[in-house]
Amino acid sequence: MADYQPVRTKVKSGKPKKRFMSEERKDALAAYLYISPFFIIFSVFSIFPIFFSFYLGLQRWNGLGSMEYVGLRNFRLIYEDPMFWKSIYNTFVIALMGTLPQLFVAFLLAFALNSTLIKFKNFFRISFFMPNVTSIVAVAIVFGTLFTNSETGLVNLVLSYFNISPINWGTNEWGLKVAIASMVFWRWVGYNTIIYLAGMQSIPNELYEAAKIDGANLRQQITYITLPLLKPVIIFTVFVSTIGSLQLFTEPLVFLGRTMREEGITMVLYLYREAFVNNAFGTASAAAITLFFIIIVFTTINLLIANRLGNSK
Amino acid sequence: MDNAQQKTKARKNLFSKILTYLLLFSGAFLSLFPFYWMFVIATNPNHVVNRLPPAMIPGDHLVINFLNVLSNINFFGAMFNSFIVSTAITFSVLFLSSLAGYAFAKLKFKGKNVLFVFILVTMMIPPQLGLIPSYLIITKLGWISDLRAIIVPGMVSAFGIFWMRQYIKEAIPDELIEAAKIDGCSRFRIYWMIVIPLILPAFATLGIITYMNVWNDFMWPLIILKDESVHTIQVALRLLNDAYVRDYGMIMSGTFWATIPLVIIFLIFNKFFIDSLTKGAVKS
Amino acid sequence: MFSKKASILYVVLVFMLVLAACSSNGSNSENAGETDDSNDNQSAENIELTMWTFGSPGYDKFLEEYKEVNPNVTIRIQSADLADHHNNLFTAISAGSGAPDITMIEAGYIDQYREAQEMFVNLYDLGAEEIKGDYLDWTWSNAESADGDFLFGVPTDIGPTVMYYRTDVFEEAGLPTDPDEVHALIQTWDDFRKVAKEVTEKTGKPMTDNVNLIYYSLRDQSPETYFDRDNNLIINDSPYIKNAYDYATQLIEDGVVGRIEMWSPEWGTAMNDGSFATLLAPSWMQNVITGNAPEAAGKWSITHLPEGAGNWGGSYLGVPSQTKHAEEAYAFISWLLSPENQLKSFKQEGLFPSTPAIYDDPAFTEHTDEYFSGVKTAKIYSEAAQQVQIAYTGPGYAIANSEIGTALANVNNENRDPEKEWEEAVKRIERQLERR
Repeated sequence: MADYQPVRTKVKSGKPKKRFMSEERKDALAAYLYISPFFIIFSVFSIFPIFFSFYLGLQRWNGLGSMEYVGLRNFRLIYEDPMFWKSIYNTFVIALMGTLPQLFVAFLLAFALNSTLIKFKNFFRISFFMPNVTSIVAVAIVFGTLFTNSETGLVNLVLSYFNISPINWGTNEWGLKVAIASMVFWRWVGYNTIIYLAGMQSIPNELYEAAKIDGANLRQQITYITLPLLKPVIIFTVFVSTIGSLQLFTEPLVFLGRTMREEGITMVLYLYREAFVNNAFGTASAAAITLFFIIIVFTTINLLIANRLGNSK
Repeated sequence: MDNAQQKTKARKNLFSKILTYLLLFSGAFLSLFPFYWMFVIATNPNHVVNRLPPAMIPGDHLVINFLNVLSNINFFGAMFNSFIVSTAITFSVLFLSSLAGYAFAKLKFKGKNVLFVFILVTMMIPPQLGLIPSYLIITKLGWISDLRAIIVPGMVSAFGIFWMRQYIKEAIPDELIEAAKIDGCSRFRIYWMIVIPLILPAFATLGIITYMNVWNDFMWPLIILKDESVHTIQVALRLLNDAYVRDYGMIMSGTFWATIPLVIIFLIFNKFFIDSLTKGAVKS
Repeated sequence: MFSKKASILYVVLVFMLVLAACSSNGSNSENAGETDDSNDNQSAENIELTMWTFGSPGYDKFLEEYKEVNPNVTIRIQSADLADHHNNLFTAISAGSGAPDITMIEAGYIDQYREAQEMFVNLYDLGAEEIKGDYLDWTWSNAESADGDFLFGVPTDIGPTVMYYRTDVFEEAGLPTDPDEVHALIQTWDDFRKVAKEVTEKTGKPMTDNVNLIYYSLRDQSPETYFDRDNNLIINDSPYIKNAYDYATQLIEDGVVGRIEMWSPEWGTAMNDGSFATLLAPSWMQNVITGNAPEAAGKWSITHLPEGAGNWGGSYLGVPSQTKHAEEAYAFISWLLSPENQLKSFKQEGLFPSTPAIYDDPAFTEHTDEYFSGVKTAKIYSEAAQQVQIAYTGPGYAIANSEIGTALANVNNENRDPEKEWEEAVKRIERQLERR
């Protein structure tokens, strides 16, 4: 870290120092006060729904009638359902295809947009953010048209130049995943870019200057300056993206429409269908609870990996 | 470096510059295309949405389609509602999240790690099943068709707190805080005078993201805001969907104009926050 | 302790919240349908009813007239998109509060509530038996419980299915194009299959856009579908669904079925270009066709389906039991959906009525449509409407339909074996039903 000048601020005059308020006390008091809004609002609005969702896992309920306690039956039923396992598989595959490359590309994009050598930065920034802002209805139609089954669809046309026969994007096992993954990638890469960009902006330019003078090339600059300093932000994006990809819902919903085909159904789509289409809230909850634990496990794994990678530098 | 070496270096630089620009421009094109297409459909009659290959040229229905939108829904009223909700929530989230993030990043207190992990864990719970019980809570509070039902639950976000904590950890060195404490600053003053100026990019980013998420959210407002006078813009736009038939020219027109404020917000945040930070130099 | 800036920020925040609170106070209407009447004397009391609708049924145009006859009853209509409306309805009914006094329910969504009919007011208790005769019996029976003692709602509009066809494609195949002649040519489903082969051989175009509409047509002509009246799955024992499925897959094998995804841009283009010969669809599809294919005016015509007609869509007006004004609600419903008013709805909005008495009105018998080659469209729909015989659906109907649809798509798009897909579909249906 470069050296920073200590900041001098005006001391408020006339305030007697209370021994009662030790430094630790001051810290703690302020801290509890500052974090309390979250916990207050959370306990009013979120605790009941969360408990309710978990409680439902042991019940049989169609949303309208009375609930019937069934113990672990719901869990058994969904673990016996091949569709459930398929949805887990789909989620992971689409996450790897759509989210993982996205983080790398977003990082590179942010680095490019942060560099002093590039002009039109604002134009690029807003362009890359537009996918996240464009109406999902429009996006669905555009991607649906791109990835249409017929041989006149744009992607199929491009493939035909490489002598590849047209793919049924809407029903094919890998076609569907590629289509959904590209939609996810397209929609979220700009989002992660501006997050990395914000992080990079707090890294002083002098560090890069000094490194350049020492003869460091681009890769070395990134490895020894950007990555370590950006670590908290990278951890943030890894965490948020992991959760986001494991909870993938909107893109497959919009691409699959009502068909909810097994080639593209994700875990959340599975539980959504279970609850709101099939009206089987008990099993939907069981799926949600399972998903919750999967998320905990994988987020922890991902964070450990990201941490380890950061430390090894 | 002699002349020849300098020349090859310059050529290499130029080459990488061109390559970079090429990639950036193609990326920008791919990112903007659907939005542009949306505008094309918004200015054309309905059947143009079916064109294959996709229509590329804006048509002459710009005004007609928008007038259709206006006659079907209270467009500006809904925009205003969205504006209130998004602005209120964004202000609140920025302020409360940065405060809490600051606490987690820089203050010492008992249970800090446990509480922080708790906040992280709340982000992992799939929200879909909470819809019915949440609706129940709002009904008990008597807040159906009341914008408060949208604003109050959204005032703090785990995402925001996490983001601010990470950013503050990265951007604010401990020594700075220590020095300020030695000088006798209160915790809040430290937050206000030192932390905030240094995390303006974080504010900008979180601000844009929050504003956009709230503006685009429709699942929750849909269930809560029954009365048309309190509809936010996304809910109102969905009214344009007829039972079996859709006029896409009209729908895209409404959607397009409803997106323009987001673009403006992005530009504002971009200008006032991201660029206001002179890179890395800490003001004395 | 707080600096000036902080105080300003707090004021701004509070201001925002106050603004939000104030802007919604004037429109706080969640009590509208649940006001406790302090008096029991309801006839003199001013009553406000909330009504939820979807699409644009144009019922707001009737409110003024009703107000004149019933000045103490005010009705507020709230609209939503089809799917959203039903999600909201389900949430409100499930949570036990917030439901409207009157709600529209689309035909396909009634099944959700069959197992919880106490969530609705039994309209037979309010005298609906008296108006039963005004409505087509098949649509009326769809809103009844399995044992016929409970009525969920009064029918609004219906969607009788017909055969839309491209006259130019038929002509190219050397077939007649006049609706009566086409109907005479295609009297049975076997005829349809023969004609389909001819069309594809002579023009290279598929007979239909996709396989679903063929399957739906046959399914909707069956006396029973997936469940019996006790809600047992009969898909393995009852022949009708299997027959419909087999027929559809045979046509796929014949090579006469297209692969165009319904509701996609391609589909709209295909309607315009005449890339397929027939569209077996309900009356409201007419607006979809004209909206998607303006250049095909005069190239489409309409005739009847072979062996009868089916129904797709249409809705009902029901009264959730959360209401405090059941009688007033029913009074409005029965007034709004009377034959005279349904005729008005037809003329104003094109909603196809469920009251057969008015099918003899000149608006039906004489109405022609240039787009559809000058055919008397309303007459054909009304003839079809009178041929419909629907089967009992049951709570698991949507699940069963969805899985058969998936199976058909697999056979059509992925060339999978029809028998295997059928078995897999049945297994999936059974599993999902077990979880409910």
